Amino acid sequence: MVTFNRRQTMGLIGGAAALGLAAPAIAQNNRIVVGALRFTSHSGSFIAVERNYFAEAGLDVELRFFEAAQPMAVAIASGDVDYAVTAVSGGLISLANRGAIKVIGGALSEEPGIDGQIILASDAAFQAGVTTPAALDGKVFGMSTAGSSFHYMGSRMAQAEGIDLSFTPLQSVGAIIGALRTGDIDAWSIVPHIAKPLAASGAVHEIGRVSDYLPNYQVTTVFTSAQNAADEREKTNAFLNGFSRGVSDYNSTMIDNAGGEDGVNEMVDLIHRYVYTDREREAAATSIINGTMRLNEGARLNVGSVRDQLEWFQSEDLIDADITLETFVDTSYVETFEA
Amino acid sequence: MSDPSDHKSPPTAPIEVRFRGGGFAPRPHRWMGPVVFVAVIALLECGTQAGWISALTFPKPSDVLGAFGELWESGLLFQHLMPSLGRLAVGGAIGASLGIAVGVLIGLFSYVRAGMVPVVAAIFPIPKIALLPLFVIWFGIDEASKYALIAFGTFTPTVVATYGAVDNVDRSLIRMGQSFGLSWMSIVRKIVLPGAMPGILSGLRISLAIAIILLVAAEMLGASHGIGAYILQAGSLYDLERLFAGVVILSLLGVTLSAIIGQIERRLLRWRS
Repeated sequence: MVTFNRRQTMGLIGGAAALGLAAPAIAQNNRIVVGALRFTSHSGSFIAVERNYFAEAGLDVELRFFEAAQPMAVAIASGDVDYAVTAVSGGLISLANRGAIKVIGGALSEEPGIDGQIILASDAAFQAGVTTPAALDGKVFGMSTAGSSFHYMGSRMAQAEGIDLSFTPLQSVGAIIGALRTGDIDAWSIVPHIAKPLAASGAVHEIGRVSDYLPNYQVTTVFTSAQNAADEREKTNAFLNGFSRGVSDYNSTMIDNAGGEDGVNEMVDLIHRYVYTDREREAAATSIINGTMRLNEGARLNVGSVRDQLEWFQSEDLIDADITLETFVDTSYVETFEA
Repeated sequence: MSDPSDHKSPPTAPIEVRFRGGGFAPRPHRWMGPVVFVAVIALLECGTQAGWISALTFPKPSDVLGAFGELWESGLLFQHLMPSLGRLAVGGAIGASLGIAVGVLIGLFSYVRAGMVPVVAAIFPIPKIALLPLFVIWFGIDEASKYALIAFGTFTPTVVATYGAVDNVDRSLIRMGQSFGLSWMSIVRKIVLPGAMPGILSGLRISLAIAIILLVAAEMLGASHGIGAYILQAGSLYDLERLFAGVVILSLLGVTLSAIIGQIERRLLRWRS
């Protein structure tokens, strides 16, 4: 038996520790962490990982999952996550204003002709005659927090209809659904894979579409730390390259039906590894297919929509009035357009 | 130890024996608290102005003051403060009075003690925030669920502090009352309750601090006004200045409540001096 005296043991421990500390540094070169939520709208990242698009772009990607967009944005600011996709929110813009993050591309978009986000009414409100968004005058609209995308959608809808809407913060999607079922709130808007099963259950009713009010709404954007955007152009381009290939596969299979039925099934299997993992494949498939919305090809960014959102946040005094689009968005990476 | 040569040495002068048993009694230094506060805030201000504390890490104290001034000028301060104070007062009053009542009953009656102590021990460690969705179903999304959450949170620590205080009342005083033929009611009123009062009041300090903590949790669901709602909104917008302005308000609220209990202690416990 080999015996160690104390000094040898300490030496061994020290050596092991040094090796353990050095190993990540050696592999760190192209190792990035990509933040994601378990939503179909994050499929671009899932596909790029599963089909090795990131690997082919020279990146070793680790996916890290979050429960909500806000902690993910903070994780980018703290440097724990390199790239992520999330909805534009007041928190995101504030972090950008503090020099922590930059939006570098676009992802999920509303597009006329594709089932986008749906405006729902509670059963009580629906029975009382709220069958269109215009009838929501004086009613209560649910949102997670002030300055969330729900707040933006509801407020823009109310402006377009010329009605008065009050907003109630309920923190989580689960709490909002609960309040909608009990009639504590009257209306809410949400992505189709959550809205459709709810409406089918009869507890809530579909009364309109977000795309009627915000036809080309840039719902989610790709963002990274300000440091990555400024100093790590190569790495950032490699990420966008891999991500865009994933997005392209998603659009062609799920929306343009390029692979036919088999293509959709294969894609659902792939996405099911990340989304609705606690459900049976068949139940998950319905939700995944229901949730199909266009992701921007090449991570193109609808600057017009982002500007509109920025201006709305400022008009509501949720963020500083002197934040410009340039502090929030780095347009040098992807093609931009106004719609 | 004794050294025979000692006998021959001339007698030494008598040693002065001072009083040495002063203990570690704390002495009041009124200026010390403010000095520490001012020093910490000045350090933070210097750091954020000079840039070695980044805007992401900590807001400038002067900007926090600005956010506070904005709250004051726009009149929003009272729009947020009034509902919160109402929730704190109603919830805290329900929780504390029920807690004191149950605590006294546990202290006085063995049957109640045997039945209630395990129940209280079981509900004490439940994070009340976890029950918030349930409270919304039970009491609706409006004020009642907020009162219930705060009441529930202050109830258990008050019960524990109260029956502990009743247990600690001097037994010899109670025995004396009994041998002098005082009625049961007189013993409770004249010996047990006054004797337990210091413990109950110090328990109340803890319960009310917990009530302030729970205020933020209570305003998570369905509150558009309130200090807790204001803090949560600032947090989700990553607006550090408003976040800290709200936190400072909660701190001030805590200091004020503590001072009020101090006054009550002075009044109710005058018999001690």
